Amino acid sequence: MPRRVVVIGVSSKWGSEIARRLARLPEIEYLAGIDSEPPAADLERTEFIEADIRNPVMSRILPGTEADTVVHCGILLYPESGKPAGALHDINVIGTLQLLAACERTETLERVIVRGSAAIYGCEAATPYFFTEDSASRTPLRTRFQRDISELEDYFGNFARRHPDVVCCMLRYQPEIGPQLDTPLGRYMSLPLVPTQLGFDPRLQLLHADDATGALEAAIQRPVRGAVNVAPNGSISLSRALRLCRRPTVPIPHPLFEPALARLGDRLGAGALYGDAVRFLRYGRGADNTRLRSQVGYEPAFDAEAAVRAFAAGVRGRSVGPSLHLGAVADRLAGALR
Amino acid sequence: MNGSTTSPAPEALADFLHQVRLGVEGGLDPLSAAEGAATALPDQLQRLLEAVGRRVRGEYREDEWGFDEEFAEAVYPLFEFLYDVWWRVEATGVRNVPAHGRALLVSNHAGALFPFDASMILGAIMKTHPLPRWARFMVLDWAFELPFLSSFMRRVGGVPASPLNGTRLLEQDELVMVFPEGVKGTGKPFSERYRLQRFGRGGFVEIALRTGSPIVPVAVVGSEEIYPKLADSPTLAKAVGAPFVPITPTFPWLGGLGLIPLPSRWRIEFCEPVDVSAYGPDAADDRRVVFDLSERVRETIQQALYENLAKRQSVFL
Repeated sequence: MPRRVVVIGVSSKWGSEIARRLARLPEIEYLAGIDSEPPAADLERTEFIEADIRNPVMSRILPGTEADTVVHCGILLYPESGKPAGALHDINVIGTLQLLAACERTETLERVIVRGSAAIYGCEAATPYFFTEDSASRTPLRTRFQRDISELEDYFGNFARRHPDVVCCMLRYQPEIGPQLDTPLGRYMSLPLVPTQLGFDPRLQLLHADDATGALEAAIQRPVRGAVNVAPNGSISLSRALRLCRRPTVPIPHPLFEPALARLGDRLGAGALYGDAVRFLRYGRGADNTRLRSQVGYEPAFDAEAAVRAFAAGVRGRSVGPSLHLGAVADRLAGALR
Repeated sequence: MNGSTTSPAPEALADFLHQVRLGVEGGLDPLSAAEGAATALPDQLQRLLEAVGRRVRGEYREDEWGFDEEFAEAVYPLFEFLYDVWWRVEATGVRNVPAHGRALLVSNHAGALFPFDASMILGAIMKTHPLPRWARFMVLDWAFELPFLSSFMRRVGGVPASPLNGTRLLEQDELVMVFPEGVKGTGKPFSERYRLQRFGRGGFVEIALRTGSPIVPVAVVGSEEIYPKLADSPTLAKAVGAPFVPITPTFPWLGGLGLIPLPSRWRIEFCEPVDVSAYGPDAADDRRVVFDLSERVRETIQQALYENLAKRQSVFL
């Protein structure tokens, strides 16, 4: 059981969330959070330590906490305030390396849980529709972000081999979505007119924010060795997801899609990740969640469709102007007919 | 809309539009006017409107593979036309396809420009099986790079040809169609028609063994004549990134018209299933078993092809 837990990247949305959850567990004696900026909200009994994950000072701080559990929530999928796009590679790869160096010196360590990304599988036209954890090496590493994730997984794998007594668990998250969650993907799906790629309709697996935190908590309590996909059951096509959100689409020929998405840049805030987004919104990606369900023992409460429906309930209210969406019109017509 | 029910549709529509206009002139916004006018529509139109509304609102089912049964049913009549009228398909042995549970259908592959064999095998099951069921089919990777075709294939039950996909589908007790010849089958010249090409590395046998699925060999006659491939153009293929670009008597000379398949006469035979459950899942790694089974299935199909070619008296009539 985890008793002394340190959450890295505690000021991030997911870091704060998990710190709040862990604070409620009576078996946890000591809870600390490390980040370069203080958290926006009060984290109850979590002790906040201000440090940059990229700084070698980590190697002094971490052993001092006598942690038995390290939870790494500091991997960024897109730029955040104070963490610009240009720094993503440094924070993700160099940061993880510094953290692992600090873990080497922490003799009390029993388990490390990393909140990684399913982006390691990439987005390909023809791939397994449900990637299993052992199939990460089957696809080419096409984008900078995908290479970063793959690189830090390699470092983490090496650490795990050097320390067979430490349970090293790499969680591969599918993109999160939620009514209260503000992400570039959520912003994209709430645009009044959503650009899509003409003739392409990717299969997506979007993970509900509640399941994102629930799965992390389960993995902290029952970590397993190696990689675990964190994905909902089922999948949903982008076209249907946008229909459920009542968002009209503008299909754009795919060579023009990337510039179109980049022009929306400020509204979406995906920063340097447009390349990944373009492939994701063309081919999509599915991951097999058998390991999460059977070994970590976490059953996602929302399947891919339910997650989108929950998100859509929040988005519909945010519509811009009179609803131009054909569905809204047909809806009102059908209502009048009954 | 059915023409035989004295078709009140055009009049009703005109009436509807008139009502909308009256509403707008009376100071309503167009949407409210349309809502008011819609109550005057006949049942059929109401139902159509509701069905369209449901689709547009995303209120329909898709399974985890992106298969959309409603969509498949909607496009089915087109393939039914090809099946009944265009190619006059004659199917035999359809009872060899299990009515439920997993099974792997293995067929020869032809049709240089667009292989229609999967859709016609599906048609044979849907039209002549006592318990019709949808089948999933494994599609050449390249097709999923293409706009429109990729999403169309996915919606009607196509999945990229990957052993993980095949295994997962069979574990879900689906009926799965594979074409082990792959591009070698569709890309062969007309002079080599009905001569089965190499069956890949026998990957289909491996997934059948791993999942304990019976293999049903299927022989399709007629698919080779729809686009007689006389030559191919490597330069064109390189330019568009396709595995090959065929030259047929009509393509590319007639442009889009060259895409119309020739109306050959088809026969589809479903052969006796090969039960592989006795070997056990571990046999999937035994190259000898895999190779033997693969060869056995290949010979069954080749034999059935010759028999059905003899039974088909004329290629086109």
